[in-house]
Amino acid sequence: MQLIDREDHQKLYIQLYEIIKKKIENNEWEVGSQIPTEQELCKMFNVSRATVRTAILELTRLGFLKRQQGKGTFICKKAISEGLTMLTSFRELMFEEGLTFSTNVLARTVIMPVDDLGIKLDIPQDKHIIYIKRLRLVDSEPVLLQETYIPYHICPLLLEEDIEHNSLFEVLEKKYGIKITKVKNYVEVTHLKKDDARLLGLPEDSAALLLTQHFYSGETPIMYTCSVKGSDRFKFLIDLERKAA
Amino acid sequence: MSDSKAVKDLMIGIFEYPHVPYWFSINQAVRIVRASFLSAKKYPEPMAILVFDEKYNLMGTLTLKDILRGLEPRFLKPSAKAQVPEEDESGLAIIWDTLFNKESKELAERAVSEIMIPAKHFVEPNDPVTKAAYLMLRHDLVLLPVLENKKKFVGVIRMIEIFDEISNAIIKE
Repeated sequence: MQLIDREDHQKLYIQLYEIIKKKIENNEWEVGSQIPTEQELCKMFNVSRATVRTAILELTRLGFLKRQQGKGTFICKKAISEGLTMLTSFRELMFEEGLTFSTNVLARTVIMPVDDLGIKLDIPQDKHIIYIKRLRLVDSEPVLLQETYIPYHICPLLLEEDIEHNSLFEVLEKKYGIKITKVKNYVEVTHLKKDDARLLGLPEDSAALLLTQHFYSGETPIMYTCSVKGSDRFKFLIDLERKAA
Repeated sequence: MSDSKAVKDLMIGIFEYPHVPYWFSINQAVRIVRASFLSAKKYPEPMAILVFDEKYNLMGTLTLKDILRGLEPRFLKPSAKAQVPEEDESGLAIIWDTLFNKESKELAERAVSEIMIPAKHFVEPNDPVTKAAYLMLRHDLVLLPVLENKKKFVGVIRMIEIFDEISNAIIKE
């Protein structure tokens, strides 16, 4: 049984949340079944009642669990990722059918959390981050410049994956089972720096749209992406669908 | 020292050290040193940063000495020795503002690739420790990258582990 790692920088309730979520996703704890009581969970994982409560609350909020007054807490039929449609890969994000997409990986290396990256990814300043810079092209025209930051410990093997032909999102979810349950999107206007403008084939200081995205698995930040789009030929599309009641 | 001791027995993982790409500035490297070593109260010997290219190939290393050297104002750097007498440094009284001045802040905006020590010498995991010791002494290095099949960077071997190994053999009864 997976246990809480007290040496880990992650908060205890987040670790417990992840452990329980995994049990649900692996069907170790079956849909419809009752989970152990708070007291039993405290004993199982050697944590306080407050830690158990916070983890359960979060799992309930995200639709993994359902509380029934006087009966207990039960596994729900649907997890949140099935209820919320999140269009986050490059193709899904932006474009209509019938266009040819391609990706140039400009950089894939490892850096340290400079500026406020440590805060954004909730990691200590001495932890490593995988940095990926990609130029996205539609019909051979550069349209999007994307910089992605992922804590190294989340997916060390990502450094060896083919992310030129495969969606990073799909690699994380399908190959490594890292379910993305929440994305926070911020859109703002920016001006292109010299190097970015050159890559996008636009004049320096041109107005551009900046989409910053914070990806979470549960409450754990797993990826931070900055996408700059200079061309006005294409639009950002962020499609969110309310979960069925 | 055991004859069979190989580099892989003494090497440490590359994630013991901070990584930066070559385009990071010296200023960023300084902040990384402070965050990774000083604030974290970790003082590895040597305190170094590994510099990589955009394809995650090791390009070089950066020690504290290399960083300070990169921040040293030009007027303090020794000029090429021609037919001039040896400098008398005993009376050299330099105040702090003069030593690392405004020019240093400008110098700190340069890329780390300008001041790193390029990684030219490597060992393989199965190489004998003696080979690592030889390369370090011969080329005045304190850290040596370990490459698998001359390509994949898998670890580093440091002077301190080599010293420990050799000194053990010497003092052993």
